[in-house]
Parts: sequence; structure tokens; C-alpha cells
Amino acid sequence: MNRYRVSHRTTYSYDEDVSDSLGIAYLVPRELPWQHVVSHELSLDPSTEDCTGDLDFYGNTSTYFQVTSPHQVLDILATSEVETEPPSHDEHTLDTPWESARPQRRADVADAWQAQDFALASALADQTTEAHAYAAQSLQSGRPVGEAVTDLMHRIHADFAYDKASTTVTTTIDDIFAQRAGVCQDFAHLTLACLRSHGLAVRYVSGYLATRPPPGKERIVGADATHAWAAVWIPDGGWLALDPTNDQWVNDRYVTVAWGRDYADVAPVKGVIFTEAKKSSLKVEVDVAPI
Amino acid sequence: MTALRDYSAAVTQPTLTGGPARYDEVVAPDGSLRVGWRLLAEQAIQLTDSDLRRVGSDIERFLADDGVTYTPPEEEPGPWRLDPFPLIIDAAEWAPLEVGLAQRAELLNAILVDLYGPQRLLSSGVLPSSLIFGHQGFLRVAARASASDARPLLLAAADLGRNAAGEWQVLADRAQAPSGIGFAMENRRVISRVMPELYRQAALHRMAPFFQALRSTLIDSAPGDSPNPRVVVLSPGTHSETSYDQAFVATSLGFPLVEGSDLVMREGAVWMRVFGRLERVDVILRRVDAAWSDALELRKNSQLGVAGLSEAVRRGSVRVVNGLGAGVLENPALLPFMSAMCEMLLDEPLRLPSVQTYWTGDDRSRAYVLDNLDSLVVRSIDDPVEGAAPSRDQLQARISAEPHRYVGQEPLMLSQSPTLGAGGLRPQTLTLRTFTLRYGSTYRPLVGGLAHVFEAGRPTSSKDVWVLKDRPEDPDQGLTDVLPLTNVRASAAMMPRVLEDMFWFGRYAERAEDMLRLVLTAHAIAEDFRSRPQTAGGASLAVLMRAISGLSRSSFGSDQLDENFRSILLDVRRSGSVAQSVTALREAAQSVRDQLSPDTWLAFSSTDRASSALEAYHYSHQVAESAGRMLTGILSLQGMTANMIRDPGWRMIGAGRAIERGLQLCHLLRSTTTVRRGIDADRDLHLAVLSAAESTVTHRRRYQGYVRLAGVLDLLLVDPDNPRSLAFGIGEMREHLAEMPGSTGSTRPERLLDDLADELDRADIVALTAIEGENRPNLARFLDGYAAQLSRLADAVGELHFAAAPIPRSFGFATAVQE
Repeated sequence: MNRYRVSHRTTYSYDEDVSDSLGIAYLVPRELPWQHVVSHELSLDPSTEDCTGDLDFYGNTSTYFQVTSPHQVLDILATSEVETEPPSHDEHTLDTPWESARPQRRADVADAWQAQDFALASALADQTTEAHAYAAQSLQSGRPVGEAVTDLMHRIHADFAYDKASTTVTTTIDDIFAQRAGVCQDFAHLTLACLRSHGLAVRYVSGYLATRPPPGKERIVGADATHAWAAVWIPDGGWLALDPTNDQWVNDRYVTVAWGRDYADVAPVKGVIFTEAKKSSLKVEVDVAPI
Repeated sequence: MTALRDYSAAVTQPTLTGGPARYDEVVAPDGSLRVGWRLLAEQAIQLTDSDLRRVGSDIERFLADDGVTYTPPEEEPGPWRLDPFPLIIDAAEWAPLEVGLAQRAELLNAILVDLYGPQRLLSSGVLPSSLIFGHQGFLRVAARASASDARPLLLAAADLGRNAAGEWQVLADRAQAPSGIGFAMENRRVISRVMPELYRQAALHRMAPFFQALRSTLIDSAPGDSPNPRVVVLSPGTHSETSYDQAFVATSLGFPLVEGSDLVMREGAVWMRVFGRLERVDVILRRVDAAWSDALELRKNSQLGVAGLSEAVRRGSVRVVNGLGAGVLENPALLPFMSAMCEMLLDEPLRLPSVQTYWTGDDRSRAYVLDNLDSLVVRSIDDPVEGAAPSRDQLQARISAEPHRYVGQEPLMLSQSPTLGAGGLRPQTLTLRTFTLRYGSTYRPLVGGLAHVFEAGRPTSSKDVWVLKDRPEDPDQGLTDVLPLTNVRASAAMMPRVLEDMFWFGRYAERAEDMLRLVLTAHAIAEDFRSRPQTAGGASLAVLMRAISGLSRSSFGSDQLDENFRSILLDVRRSGSVAQSVTALREAAQSVRDQLSPDTWLAFSSTDRASSALEAYHYSHQVAESAGRMLTGILSLQGMTANMIRDPGWRMIGAGRAIERGLQLCHLLRSTTTVRRGIDADRDLHLAVLSAAESTVTHRRRYQGYVRLAGVLDLLLVDPDNPRSLAFGIGEMREHLAEMPGSTGSTRPERLLDDLADELDRADIVALTAIEGENRPNLARFLDGYAAQLSRLADAVGELHFAAAPIPRSFGFATAVQE
């Protein structure tokens, strides 16, 4: 079992007073069979009374807040202590032919109707014909679903370069194919688009990955980042979480915060401001410290 | 032969093709009248073609007088159309329909409760989950335990059509923000006035008790136990398709009509911005689609809703009607499953059938649809506007790519009804929109509705819907316990937006009036002197035309007088024109429709008629004729405002008028009196100024016809008793501003007003008329300064009373996940 203290600080700065900020944050890690949240704290500066958590449609904790004292800097700090174990998978269920892992065809499986939500298109994971064709190379007829999706993960890792500069808020699946590059969010969306276009159900998962310092070096505090990956529905076998960015199945170094249809469902912080300010800047600092 | 007999003879002719006949709403296949019409036969049969034409034009006039408009998507607002012949449904035929509609609303409510709660319909497989999860109306922000609502559907609507056998079938359910009930009420109002004999003869259900029931349902739906819940009608604005309908409903129910910018989120609740204060809102009757109603959690950057609304709903601090998630019910893919859902949720058979629909997410249905693409109507489940009709191949490709997003529907052979057109009565097809209200613990359909008439598949007109009573003594709407709508008056909800519209209402009314007076004055002189430019009259005409051009630039030469006059009256694009002022005036009035008397629209219909006459007749005297009638229309607004409650809105109209009048007077004097043009020309001009400033009679009485500039200025600048003078305007503005909430006696507008008053006190008429060469520099300086100061005052009033909140902006999607 691993134990981490995660701190995630989001700071917005404006060139003029903001009189009113409303926000929705997805910063509280989920309680899961392989993950226990020992403690969690969310603090805002300027502080506000109006800050409440609620379970969303997918069981994630979403936090609503409103700050109505004029401010030029809004600081949101989430601190969590989390214990993680490696998720376990039943090899037998992973051997299901991938065609039979499509929820549309599996009325016999109890949660297939719910999984169907993650088999449909979503705005940020457009099911392009290119994605469909790319995925087809991994989804040979009758291939076990675990093997097929793992193969797709290897190929994405091999074919697409990690490049922070290549990505923007409006990056589409077409852009990712055109650039053959992206960041973890893009690779997660790419996985969604590829597999959903063949009828598989795939979630977008947002969270953190504890980084290992290079051999002989000290861990650098604050060098971590938010992370994202994808999880595939396995009939009677839960969800197989894969990280195409690091070419591995999700293990006990991963902290799961929230899942949804794509990034827009679980953006760490989003909101609306009322201001005359023209400029704003954003800074995000994440630290995942083993304890 | 009378109109109806002709119609009857025509529709009972055997058709050459011998194909199945449409059901006719009035005439049975054997040529006899249907039951409902038989009761009215005596009156109805007598109507001749010319009677009907008269009724048709009366209807047009009444609708114009009431300012009833409809704005087709992407088009300019046009007149609402109404056919004289109602759709009549007799009591025996209505009874099963009523039961079916009530059941349907109860079922739809139960579906909503289930889909946003336990989802038994989905987990049991009765309803395939992809048709819900893949529908844009399914809002996950409302699908949480915290958002649960036992009665999310308070007002349902449905579009019905009759098949060839005369059976009603549901074509579509409308649950998001049903529109049309205001149009239905307006239709009834008009038809009862234009066909009083027929209307009296028919023992039909009046609609008023339904409105009262709607009002109490909305008030009772307030969360918590506020003794006096505040209900508002949230409109997307005056440019929306059914803004008339929204304003009608707000006015009839006595609830303020608000827009998103009038509302704000605080402490988890929704508040209305009233005079810098915040007032709690308990119930929102929304006419904004859910996707646009919360920029925080739904469509970002939308300004039509309230950022944070979903959270307020989840906290139970406000009730939104219908619930935010109700749009999911408009999914046509639900129709094939209605029966099974009814069995499961209500444990009874479905009473009202829906039009035959095939959901392509189902393998067998998809195969059927793909085999019958030519005979079926294929629709997306949540995107009614798909642009140009897709080709067969495109449809096939779309359905195969996303089968869960499409349905195929059997086209219904809709019933037909006599409809008045250019060539008399013709059969046109129709659909019926019904409205069902949750009242207490049951659902009550409106006994009546709104019928849409179609021509070549497009809606072209509407019909009133008369449901006849079984016995004349039956209570209207079957409701005995509702209180009559007495003294229902929109409480003065003076949001900054409303005050601003009122202020501009006053300004544009005055601007239109002053320009009309100037045009009338100039046109009268033109009639005498247009061909004699060398005379004193000709010279003063030229000066007046320059004054007009100074207010409203034009490219017309001095030889194009009539063209110029016509353009200043009619050209909406010409800045400063009467047409432009009237258009802006109407827009201002429309966005505060709930605050204004219905008489307001009479004024516009008379200016509209005067414009049409001028467009039709090209004689020069028509300019004066039409301008005079436009002036009468604008002046009738004065009468309307005289009868308004003395609230801040009324004060803003008054202040706007006084400021604009001062500005126009300064401009008029500046362009006519600051240069000397000879004794005769100056005398003519001074008389013209008095006429344009509506002070001729007063001047004649005071100065016995002796015209001198000093006398003119005395009367128009400093005379405290002349309602057209600058001094009088100061008094008016002082009174209005002092009564505004937030006034202290030393607010900036009040200080600026004090400066203006001082300036006027110091004005020495003798000194102002002093001459330097051809000019009167003191007068010019005074008028320029005064006008500039008035503009500053107008700005200051805006800053103090209309200051809007900054526009909401979304952030956070920029938080791109790094590694």
C-alpha cells in the first residue's frame, strides 16, 4: 500500500478587481476499492462561506463555490491524504473477445446499460473515421479485449509524441492525428475516440501520478502535475484503466480523482467571473508526496 | 351560396385519384356538418365570402392594434396570423382526449422523476439507455440525488394531429419551455370580438380560469414557506421567436418579465437586481432552454440564464418551471416506448396513441427505416434544424454511424379545415397544440388550445380552438375553485434594464414627435415656397431643411424635397429619421411590455398604418397627411403614460422625454436663430420655430402676433409656465430625479441639473440676442453649452440608475491538464 499527500494549488490572477467568481471544482479524490481517502481539505483565498460539495451523476465529488468579495487573485488549494493499492483484474474477464465487451450487445450484464453512457460520442472525443481506422488495427476479430486495448495503448504511446507546445484548449481528435503529438489529456481523449467508435465503453479519468525522481536525485517538490488516462469497461470485470501517456496499466502510484465522458465533465476547476478585467493568468502547482 | 356551403360542396366532391380522403374538421363525408358545427350552423352558414373578408381584415387590424408578433427563426418579427374559423371540438369528442392528455402529462412527469432518479426504466431494459444518454436534453447536472424533484413537470404541451380516421395522435411532446398559451389567449380575445354572434352562440369553455390555475400552481410551487413568493418569467429577450407570448403570459399572470442579466446568484439562491438592492426569487417560469440557462455548469458563456442556476436548484432555493431536465421528454425516440413505460410507471394502458415512430437504435426498426427512407420522415432525436434536407445516402450514412440518434416517423395524413385565403375558404391541414397543467395533485388539460394551419408543410396561420360544453351551465375549464384574476398587475419590478428601456422609450417618443413637428412645419412652408427659393419663405425653407439634415443626414438635393420628406418619415436606416425613432421606440416598449398598457400598441398600429399609406400614395400632400397621423399616434402615447402608476419606470419615461425635448429645442434654435437672414426671412423662421416647438398659440396670446426673437427665446428658454420651454423641462427633471430610489439631492445627475438651472437663471435674453455681424455668438455659445450639459446629464442618469453588472465570462477550460 502506498500513501500520498497530494496538494493541488490553482491560482487565477486578474489585472482588475473581480467582483464575483463562481466555480465548480473536481479536486476531491474518490473513495474506491483500491483507494482510500484519509483526509481532504479545500481552502479558498479570499475565503468564502459559500463552498459545498455534492456527489455528481457519476459519483464524483463536485465542489461549488462563490466568492463575492472583490479580488484580483483567487487561490484554490486542495490537500488530500490518500492510500492506494494496485487495482486487481480478473484475467478471465480480460480474455473476453472485444466484440463481446460492447455494452450495447450485453443486456445480460447488470451494468451494461450504465456503461452505455461511455460508449457514445462526447464533444471532446469526436469519433472520426481516422480514429476508427487507427483503432481497427488493434481490434482484430475475436481478440481478447484486455490484449486489444493494451495493444492500442502501446501504439498510441509509440506513434504520438508527448509535446506540451502542441496542445490548446480547443485541440480536437483531428488535430492530434495531424500533429501526431499531444499531452496526457489528448491521449486519453484519443483512446476514448478510438475505442468508442467500435462500440466499447471508455471513461475519461482525471487524477495524479506520483513521479519517481531519477536515480540518485532528490524528489523535486511541486514538479508533479495533474494527470489523465482512460478506463475501458470489461463485462463483469469492472474497468481496466490504462495510461497511454506512460504506456502502462494504472497501478498504485496513481491517485484517482474523478471520471466522466471527457475532460469537460471533470475539469479540475471551471467557473464564471464577473469583471471588467481584460487579462487573466493561471498557475497550477501539484505535488504528490509519498508519506 | 354562402362560404361554408361552397366549401362543403367542394370538399365532398369525389377526388379523381380516388385516394384516401383527409378527415375534414367541419364537413362529414356525406356533406353534413360535424356535430360541433351543427350547433352553430344557423350563424355559420349565413357567413358570406364578403363577411369573411371583412372579418379577416378586422382580425388583422385587432392583432396589429394589440402588437401581436411572431418571429420566425432567423427572421424579422412579423405579424401573428389568425384564421376566422375556429377549430371546434364538441364535448363528447373532447372528453377522451382530455383524459388521454392528463394521463400523458402524468406519465411524462413520472418518466422525468425516474430518469433523474432511480432509472428503473433504463436498468429494467424497458427503455434503451443510449436514447437517453445520447440525448442533449438529458442533463447530468440535474441527475443527482440532491436535485431530486417529485414534480418536475408543471406545464406540458403536446402537438396533436388527426389521422384520416379522425383519431387524434400525439406528434410531439413539448416540455422544455412550452410556448403558445399566450397566443391561444390572444386568439380567443380577437375571435370573440370579430365574430361576436358566433362566439355568443357557442357554449364554449372560456380560458381565464386556466390562467388563474396556472398562476396558483406557480405560486404554490415555491420552495420553502415564503408567505409571498416571488415568481418571474425568464425570457431570452425581445428578439426570441415567441417574445410576445412570453410577455403576454407574464402580464396576464402579473409576474415580472425578466432577462438573465436581471438575475444574480448569491448564497446559493437567485436574486433579482432591483434598484441596487437584491430581491429573492422563488420561482422561475423559464422560457430559456435549459442548455442556455446556466453558464457555470451548462453552455458556457451563455448570457441568457443565471450562472449558478443548477446549484440553486440542487439546493432547493429556487424552483425552475419546468425542471431543467425536462427537455429530455422532447426526444421523439421515446414515442415507441410510451406504452411500455406507461404500463411500468402508471400500471395502466396508454390512452393517447403517438404517431408511428421507429427508433433506429433498435436493429429491426433500423432495418425497416433504411428500407423505407422514401416514405418515412427521418429526424434527429435532438436537433430539429438540420439545414438542407439530407440526401438518401447522407441519411443512410448518418443513421449507420450513430443509430441511436435518429427516428423514422410515418407521415400523418393530417385533418383539414376551412381556412380563409385570397380565393375564399380552402381546406388546409392543421395540428393542435394542447397545454396541460399540474393543478394540486392532478393534471388538468386546458380545455381549448392553439391550432396551427399548414400550407405546403409550413405553418402559415393559426386558429382559435373551441371546446364546446356538454351543458351550458358547466363551469369553464371544469374548474370551480379558482379565484378570478382580479387586480393582477405586474408588481413594479424595476430592474436597471427596465429603467433604461423606459428612459429610452421617453427619449425616442420625444425624438419622433419633435421630428414630425419639424417635418410638418417645413412641409407646410414647402407647399407655398418650394418653387420660389428667392423669396423670404424660400430662404426659411432652406434653413429648416438644413435643420432637418443636421438631425438626420441625407444626400437629397434641394430639388428632391418630397423624396427627402418621405425618407425622413419612412427610411429606417436613415439615422434620426422618424421611422428609426419609432422602431427604436417599439423595441424599447417590447422589452418592457409587461409594464405598459395594451393601449401602447394602438399607437404603433396607427403609425404603421400612416407609414403604409405614405408608401402607397406618392402625392406630396400625403406627406403631411401621414406625418399628421403619425404624430397623433405618438401623442396617444402621452395619454397612455399619463395613466401609468407613478413608479420609477414612469419617472424615467418623463426624465427621458424632458432631456430629449431640451436637446431637440437647443438644436432647432441653434440652426435657425443664431444667424440673421433679413427681417422677413427671420420672421418666417421664428414663426416656424414656434410652430415646430408647439408654442404658436401661446406666443400669439402673449405677444399679439408681434414676432421678435427676444419674445421667442423668452417663451422657449426661460418661461416656467410653457411646458415646451427649457425652464419647464428643468422643473420636470428635478421632480422625476428626486423621486428615484437612491436619490439624495446630491447625486451626480441632480448636481448636473442644478448647474443647468443656474445656467438658465443667469441667461439674459437681451445679451443672448446680441449681434456680431450676421451672427449671434452669445446665443450660439449658450445653446451649444446647454446641449452638451444635457447630454452629460443623460449619461449621468444612465450611470446612476442603469448600471449593469459586468458580463459573465467563463474560465477554467484553460486548465489544460499537464502531465
